[in-house]
Amino acid sequence: MGVTREQFEQGMSYEAFKAQMTRNQERLAETERTLALAEEELRFFRELEQPLHVLVLAEDWCGDVINNLPVLARVAEETGKLNLRVFLRDQNLDIMDQYLKEGKYRSIPVFVFFDQDFRELGHFIERPAAMTVLMDQAVTELFANDPAMQGVERGASPALMPEAARNRMGQFFGEFRARTRADSDRAVLQEIRGLIERGVAV
Amino acid sequence: MKDTVADTDRKPLKVSIVYCAACGYEPQTIALASALMHTFTYDLAAIELIPWQEGAFDVVVGGDLVHSMYRDGGFPANDTVIAAVRERLER
Repeated sequence: MGVTREQFEQGMSYEAFKAQMTRNQERLAETERTLALAEEELRFFRELEQPLHVLVLAEDWCGDVINNLPVLARVAEETGKLNLRVFLRDQNLDIMDQYLKEGKYRSIPVFVFFDQDFRELGHFIERPAAMTVLMDQAVTELFANDPAMQGVERGASPALMPEAARNRMGQFFGEFRARTRADSDRAVLQEIRGLIERGVAV
Repeated sequence: MKDTVADTDRKPLKVSIVYCAACGYEPQTIALASALMHTFTYDLAAIELIPWQEGAFDVVVGGDLVHSMYRDGGFPANDTVIAAVRERLER
């Protein structure tokens, strides 16, 4: 399981990943431009005794990649303690299938943290668990309180929703991201910090 | 020009495909839509593509959810959807 140093070194740098993107470049650039990480959030990474290798699985069409990979890349850039290598998911399914979400979904991004001996410390998949919980709460509130959602069954296919409800849901996704952006970035850092701490302690 | 089903006989059957636009599901969506177009030509009232998020891939035929990635896992075989459409057209 995991990867060898030789395999790892075949991955792209973050800059090379960005250079080969064919879509969402502007969204990713906007995420980078508006990303603000506080020094106290970076301190843990800055104080790591040894740099870590981080294998990233990504694709340019994925919203969670566009949202979360720039956070990891900024930590790498600011601290010099994370050595990133990016692999395209669909060209590296042998790696991808080692890190399936809930054992079955090829969700990305995946960030896998290795120490200097390529011992895996832990991995992050898709988005912080805290944000999934927050999203679930917000959707519950939307269905309970928004006039457009009245009478619409939670979990109904969008194809079976009235058009007003479908449009409201679409609008909600954008609003949720805008409202929770800073929380999400912080949660990414907290989650990867936690898994590194647990991995190092083993 | 006379095609497979006369206008007056055509049933107003719509197929909707909901696909996660943040998940790279466009190839499967286009392949399914293309298969439906080629199989049913004029016999469908509409083929609707609905971009969505959160990992969705649903196929609704005439108001029936015949495939849901959340419920059934994965993508449907095109032939399965075609059979579901044909069955409803013949009702």
